[in-house]
Amino acid sequence: MTSIALENNDYKKEIKQKTAKPLLWIGLMSIVMFFAGLTSAVIVSKGTAVWETIQIPSAFAISTVFILLSSLTFYLGERSLKSNQLAKAKLFILATLLLGLLFTVTQYLAWTDLYKNGVVWAGSESSAAGSYFYALTALHLLHLLGGLISLLVVNFKSIKEKYNAENLLGVQLSSTYWHFLTALWVYLYLFLIFIA
Amino acid sequence: MVALVAIVAVLLIVISAVQTLKIAELWAINKGKVIYEVTKKQNKTQALLMLVFLVAYFAFFAWQVWKWGDLMLPVSASEHGVITDRLLNITYAFIIPVFVITHIFLFWFAYKYAYNSNRKAVFFSHSNKLELIWTIIPSIALTVLILFGLSSWNEIMTPVDSEKEHVLIEVQAQQFSWNARYAGTDGKLGRAGVEFIEGVNAMGVDIKDENSKDDKIVRGEIHLPVGVPVQFVFRSIDVIHSAYMPHFRAQMNCVPGVKTQFNFVPTITTEDMKKITNNEDFNYILLCNKICGAAHYNMQMDIIVESKEDYEKWLAEQKQFAEN
Amino acid sequence: MSATHHHHEEQDFLFKYIFSQDHKMISKQFLITGFLMGFIGMVMSTLFRLQLGFPGESFWAIDFFLGSWAENGVMAPDKYLALVTMHGTIMVFFLLTAGLSGTFSNLLIPLQIGARDMASGFLNMLSYWFFFVSTIIMLISLGVEGGSASAGWTIYPPLSALPQAIPGSGLGMTLWLVAMAIFIASSLLGSLNYIVTILNLRTKGMTMTRLPLTIWAFLVTAILGVLSFPVLLSAALLLIFDRSFGTSFYLSDIYIGGQVLEHSGGSPILFEHLFWFLGHPEVYIVLLPALGITSEIVSTMSRKPIFGYRAMVTSILAIAFLSVIVWGHHMFVTGMNPFLGAVFTFTTLLIAIPSAVKVFNYITTLWKGNIIFSPAMLFSIGLVSTFISGGVTGLILGDSALDINIHDTYFVVGHFHIVMGLSAIFGMFAGVYHWFPKMFGRMMNNTIGFFHFWITIVCAYGVFFPMHFLGLAGVPRRYYTNSEFPLFDNMIDINELVTWFAIVAAFAQLLFVFNFFYSALRGPRSSQNPWRANSLEWTAPVEHIHGNWPGEIPEVHRWAYDYSKVDENGEYVSGEDFISQVVPLGPNEKDGGH
Repeated sequence: MTSIALENNDYKKEIKQKTAKPLLWIGLMSIVMFFAGLTSAVIVSKGTAVWETIQIPSAFAISTVFILLSSLTFYLGERSLKSNQLAKAKLFILATLLLGLLFTVTQYLAWTDLYKNGVVWAGSESSAAGSYFYALTALHLLHLLGGLISLLVVNFKSIKEKYNAENLLGVQLSSTYWHFLTALWVYLYLFLIFIA
Repeated sequence: MVALVAIVAVLLIVISAVQTLKIAELWAINKGKVIYEVTKKQNKTQALLMLVFLVAYFAFFAWQVWKWGDLMLPVSASEHGVITDRLLNITYAFIIPVFVITHIFLFWFAYKYAYNSNRKAVFFSHSNKLELIWTIIPSIALTVLILFGLSSWNEIMTPVDSEKEHVLIEVQAQQFSWNARYAGTDGKLGRAGVEFIEGVNAMGVDIKDENSKDDKIVRGEIHLPVGVPVQFVFRSIDVIHSAYMPHFRAQMNCVPGVKTQFNFVPTITTEDMKKITNNEDFNYILLCNKICGAAHYNMQMDIIVESKEDYEKWLAEQKQFAEN
Repeated sequence: MSATHHHHEEQDFLFKYIFSQDHKMISKQFLITGFLMGFIGMVMSTLFRLQLGFPGESFWAIDFFLGSWAENGVMAPDKYLALVTMHGTIMVFFLLTAGLSGTFSNLLIPLQIGARDMASGFLNMLSYWFFFVSTIIMLISLGVEGGSASAGWTIYPPLSALPQAIPGSGLGMTLWLVAMAIFIASSLLGSLNYIVTILNLRTKGMTMTRLPLTIWAFLVTAILGVLSFPVLLSAALLLIFDRSFGTSFYLSDIYIGGQVLEHSGGSPILFEHLFWFLGHPEVYIVLLPALGITSEIVSTMSRKPIFGYRAMVTSILAIAFLSVIVWGHHMFVTGMNPFLGAVFTFTTLLIAIPSAVKVFNYITTLWKGNIIFSPAMLFSIGLVSTFISGGVTGLILGDSALDINIHDTYFVVGHFHIVMGLSAIFGMFAGVYHWFPKMFGRMMNNTIGFFHFWITIVCAYGVFFPMHFLGLAGVPRRYYTNSEFPLFDNMIDINELVTWFAIVAAFAQLLFVFNFFYSALRGPRSSQNPWRANSLEWTAPVEHIHGNWPGEIPEVHRWAYDYSKVDENGEYVSGEDFISQVVPLGPNEKDGGH
């Protein structure tokens, strides 16, 4: 099998520059549809069954603050990279990771709160409303896990100073995904308030 | 041993087929043919087969109508079924000509314009006029169909006016049988739910509900008075079933946790239908039409339509729920 | 020396055939896996046709294939349902989604738009391997305790949620859901790649309006996939939660096996909504690639431009758009709000308009053409016929008032098998016959192809046309036997006839299998452009090379349908009855389609 161009690193890079972002965007579209499916399921269920009222744990509000802040730091980190302020960028990107972890912790706290209030995930004591609460937040967190892994990689590379103003595709992809998760969380949070 | 022989036989067949094919191809190459090109002769045969197929297809269609036409459901035994059947006929009048004409064009063109090296295909890439025509004509025809369809649908789905004289029956589906409950003299069905199911109370009727005392539970068959609207309420206690009464053009799913409903007015008694169908053993039937488990294929209940007097006599013989 | 050489070769083999990132190899992988699954699905259907045609009779074949599922050569009623379920699942998803779209999107997208490969070869490889794993899990589920999933391919809960309701809803159903989740991942990865490749990697001059219709069909199919498969995933997830963790999304008020279940507050109807939100677009995910393939072949083999290119694109888009707002027509008798039913009737019947436009355009393309009946062309004409025959009955089923009486009867089975099953598989066969030289560098045997087509179309109509009559007589689908109802006693002749046709049709597919393997290994070598076609894939060399074209990627100067184009003297512009897309427009020549 003869090979043309494909083995060529410049070519590979060019294709990646051209396609990585659209690939991510369309991937995000499918995640949007996934959550659209789930949230419309909630609306259908709410219309048909007895709907338990649920008190929203305050931890969810705190995690909202954390994730919004993390998006901000990621944005600032990316901007620092663009102006080649690598040291500043390192800090911001690290802060993003930490805020992401804090978000995860507060999510867990929120669940324990819910559980204490008698909202259980499954079994005879459960209700559709409560189960949706857990399912929606957990599935968001599952997607966030992917974001955290990408953040780990980005942190690792930024500490090794692999990124600069000319080379930041990886950061851009990671931040796009992260901002998307923030937006998704805000949507879910408002939705939870609406259905509670 | 048998398996071995079979395998050897299959192998031999495949090998000889491969060899035959190879020889045929070599033969053709020898004669100077580009062997994968469709030859003139082949092309002619295929074109002819297009025409043969067209005729055969229509003949098959006609044969089926002739042979199985009288196996179809007899005349509708419900008031709204007449509307359904009329709508069906209108739709036929639209789709059968479409089916026939497009097929004639399709296969006739295929036959007529088979390859001919003396002729050039016409470079005809679009025509706004033509395309407009065959967007608009179907649109108009569809508008007619949609209007007819929607008005019929609304008529069929309107529940019975509760003020008017009617029979109220609850049909409960379970794997793999039907139970029915008549509302009794008060015209109201008592509360029921799976949590009340116990022993003989298979339908889970709440004994404490005043409305349930005079309800009448029947199994095996239900009776309906001819000419009186029947309001059905459907329930299921396990999986989704579907109550299908083909002779009345009626169907509704039975969904656990949800009550669904359907209504119709029976117009032909079982006795009359026996005469119409020329079948002494004819019986109206309720069958399950949603996959529900291993014995889905045998979940049935007879329906008997009779005069109002006979119906009332039969109903009087049935026990009230409180008596059990 | 020889040892390292050997090692090297082994690695080569591994990356060339197994973990290949080359779209042409991945396409072959999809094709072979898809056909293997299709073959299994077909054997299943033949077996349950035996039961339907000759209820309760013992058959050697049933005994041989089903083993413990059939005592003394008679299948058990719940295993009949398992077969029906797996037949549907395999045919719809594994053969006609992954097999059809996976094969031809992969093969044709880079070749027809002028790209060296997919946007991400790695994701593409992953897409195949997810598909492969899902295939294996689905096949394993056939052998587990309780049997495979048996709740119908639509897996409506509670039947699919409760092992007490049917044995197949135990481990078999769990594996079904796992396999489908992986399948969805595969399909999404594929779709991402298809969309991005088409949008970003077209060669110079390949504007969107110069894309062959195949590519348009693949693009819209992929978009539909990205929009609808995630919703199926969410539906499946909630079902997994209900089954394995005891939540109550779909379950409520259930008394089974002598006890009341703990679930309360859920709604089975919710599942139907979510399922059909995928399920109906899925019909077009299956159908559109077949229609795209046919457009290409009908035009090439008629030596005429496809009639109404823009109308064809518009109708693909219209069909796709409408397909996501019609799912309710599967649920007319679930007790849905009658007003909603009316809306769904309206949107459903509207689909007839773009469909009709497509049919008329195909027929007009044949008109005054110069038709060469290659097997691919035969199957394409066959597709137009099945698309009409199955499509017109859609006007009956899509009409809520009429649907009441034929919902879930054999009428439905006949309708969707013809309009979607046959059309899609005809499109797939057409594609394989047509692009076989592109895939394997060899040609398939025409004579066997002719026999394959004629036997298949005759038997296919023989199987599915009579089903309309069964349905109009009120025979429900998914019945193990009709012998329990005196009402249906007269129907046994029809069922027997159908079964005979099914058996012959199944054996006729062996012709194809033989032709396929014979031609792939021993068939005559193909020339670079055996069908004298315009599109870009035929400018690539016969031998597969990584990167598709040696040297530069060709530039495109015209649309793909300049067949039999003549100048003002009535002579062919290029001296032949086709002009490749890479040929620049002549000084006085107008761009054909535009």
